[in-house]
Amino acid sequence: MNELVRELKVKIVETLNLIDVLPKDIDEEAQLIGGDIGLDSIDVLELVMMLEKDYGVKIDSKEIGVKVFASVRALAEYVHHHRSERND
Amino acid sequence: MSGTGIFITGMGIISPVGQGIGDTIEAVRKAVGGIKPLRLFPTLHAQPLPVGEIGSFSSVETVPRTHALALIAAEEAMKHADGAPDAVIIGVTTGGMSLTEELLKYGEGDAKRYEYHSTASVAEYVARRMGCLGPVLTVSTACSSGSVALKIAMAMLRCGRAKRILAGGADALCRLTYYGFHSLQLVDPEGARPFDRNRRGMSVGEGAAMLLLTAAETPPGNAIAELLGAGLSCDAYHPASPHSEGAGALRAMEEALADAGITPSDIDYIHLHGTGTIDNDIAEAKAICALFKSCPIPPLSSIKGSFGHSLAAAGAVGAVMSALSIVHGIIPANTGFHNPDPDLNLIPVGAPLAADVNVVIANSFGFGGNNAVLIVGHPKRRRGIEPPSYAIQPMSFSVIGSACLTAAGSLEQTMDRMRHAEGFRGIVPPSDILRPLSEKSVRRLKRFSRMVLSLAVSACKNSAAAGPPASVFMGTGWGGLSETHDFLTKLFVSNEQFTSPTDFIGSVHNAAAGHVAIHFQSTGPNVTATGGDCAFEQALFAASLLAHDGDNPLLVIGADEYHETLSPLFDASVATAGTPSDGGGALYLKPATATSPCRIYPSFMAYSGGSGRIIPALIRALGGDKRIKEQFGAILAGIPAAQREKGKGQLDDFLSMTGYPHPVIDYRQCVGEFASASAVAAVLGVLFVQAGEIPGNVCHQKATPLLGRGVLVLGFGNYITAVEILP
Repeated sequence: MNELVRELKVKIVETLNLIDVLPKDIDEEAQLIGGDIGLDSIDVLELVMMLEKDYGVKIDSKEIGVKVFASVRALAEYVHHHRSERND
Repeated sequence: MSGTGIFITGMGIISPVGQGIGDTIEAVRKAVGGIKPLRLFPTLHAQPLPVGEIGSFSSVETVPRTHALALIAAEEAMKHADGAPDAVIIGVTTGGMSLTEELLKYGEGDAKRYEYHSTASVAEYVARRMGCLGPVLTVSTACSSGSVALKIAMAMLRCGRAKRILAGGADALCRLTYYGFHSLQLVDPEGARPFDRNRRGMSVGEGAAMLLLTAAETPPGNAIAELLGAGLSCDAYHPASPHSEGAGALRAMEEALADAGITPSDIDYIHLHGTGTIDNDIAEAKAICALFKSCPIPPLSSIKGSFGHSLAAAGAVGAVMSALSIVHGIIPANTGFHNPDPDLNLIPVGAPLAADVNVVIANSFGFGGNNAVLIVGHPKRRRGIEPPSYAIQPMSFSVIGSACLTAAGSLEQTMDRMRHAEGFRGIVPPSDILRPLSEKSVRRLKRFSRMVLSLAVSACKNSAAAGPPASVFMGTGWGGLSETHDFLTKLFVSNEQFTSPTDFIGSVHNAAAGHVAIHFQSTGPNVTATGGDCAFEQALFAASLLAHDGDNPLLVIGADEYHETLSPLFDASVATAGTPSDGGGALYLKPATATSPCRIYPSFMAYSGGSGRIIPALIRALGGDKRIKEQFGAILAGIPAAQREKGKGQLDDFLSMTGYPHPVIDYRQCVGEFASASAVAAVLGVLFVQAGEIPGNVCHQKATPLLGRGVLVLGFGNYITAVEILP
């Protein structure tokens, strides 16, 4: 799980072209959207596309999105769960 | 006080529910649904998304779908007209994209195949087919384009610059919009259900609607309806979502009512924008509830549950449908609505409703927070209060700030190069674009939007005294090419499965102007014109038509980015040029008074048409050869490389007919070949006029004092334009 958290942090920084933010700067427990690193709804949609492409995980409603993007940790758990479901 | 009314004297429409006015009104009476799963191109979606796709239509020419649709609507609108329109103004966002996508997908490298790619090519094609010799404008303000086009047409007719104008909007389905809106999760998989509690988004659609507008003191015999007024505003809030309280939508509706000289209680029917997205419908509902707070809300409906959302055409489709409501006494059904949404607190008309309709308010809102609202009335309706008086003359402006970006960098760096007799053709260095910006705040913006924001910030850097710009007028030949390219590349590489929502938003031509509005909180009109090599002149022209006396300052910007794959394919002048170039210019302006220093005015725009009479017409518009020689100490002449021979001939004719004795600078030789090079020329012209001289070494000219004279910026080629800059 920690490996996935690290991997997701790198992907978030790369996908969103975050300036002045290193993967290690992102607190995996902190609020991801509207938090310190300044992500918004457009970034969420960009991440949704990345998750579907790289992990085969679909997030197609706002309700799920709010839960999934609460923090990097929540995101990793969702990806882990749904990816393994798919792979099983 | 001008008693001129703007009458709709011809209309044409093609949409998923039918082709032609007759079919359309029949479809509306029967509440025919036009939303079906996509068939136009194959997708990997197990179930293609529902769209508003036009089944079959006959097109005799091999033009892209948008052009074909636009022509069908235009021919119907002009069917009974006894001559060509004086001007053509069309809102378009996709242009030839449906064909371009196919070509790019298979790696087509022949630039000739892309000749109909540009949004401008739609209006130009229609204008040629309709025999229009006057101005041709292309408006690209996303989903409000059609209504903005009609607003500009109204302004032009009211000030007497034209007697009749063909105006409207057109867009065809393509991968960019189909996958783009899907990537934003704005598409309802069950088809659009506007204002329904369970709505989940829009149905992307296509269509075209054109209106022949005629200015007259009294309703002409063939008047179908009267375009009473129109209002524009910008949310200045978010690139792709409406203001959560509908503040911008409300302002545009209030502007439109004031423009028409009516009050909310005069409205018989609200033709909703009603896309069916969660956020649009909430914002629109809140705006309507606020507007009608002290009188009952009239019947309202959205047709997008049956027509789909035809994007740039939607506003013009709304105008045609509003006129049909008045003529036929029918309010269309809000197809798809079943369950009231307590958050909206509005119940649209569920089934076609017979009603006595005299005045309609028709909304359209687009990306970039771009709002445009039209008021359509019965042509013989008794007037209540008189509408406000309109400017007799288009506005001239006083320049209070300017900026440019060239291969040399900023305006100061460009001037420095000029003094050292060095050229500044080439690509703008990214570091110079970024200099006035914070990189963090533009992390999502690619080259074009960064250039535009950078120009805007630099032009307004001394804005403290005048205040921030209230409105933004943008001209670009090609818009965000990087985003368009990256969106399609990602789509094709993933076998049409994945895209970038950020790139989709950035690919919309008016995205950059939207960012400028957000930056400065510019909530006035936000217009992006995309008329190829005269896009900047079109933006300035639109500004001069829409500005009012005493208005706040505004920005007029022209910019284009060079993209190594797309620019040589799309822009024939870029392909011809030896050196890739890009850049732009921005002017921070306020309405001029008689004593204002440094005034700028767009005085001429027309199709050259190969006619020998165009140059004499230009000379007349500029006040004759005597005035030209007396007033203008230099000419900055723009001749796009692809039209070199023709343009050079026109310039030579102009010079010999006027006996022009002062310096003539062929500015594309030093600025480079890109569509909005004229924006850089205008900024340099302003600088020369302010300095009172043409500095030495500009395109190998010797230093020349202007002796109190101004500078004339002329554009040659397929279109002839003139911008006057006077001290």
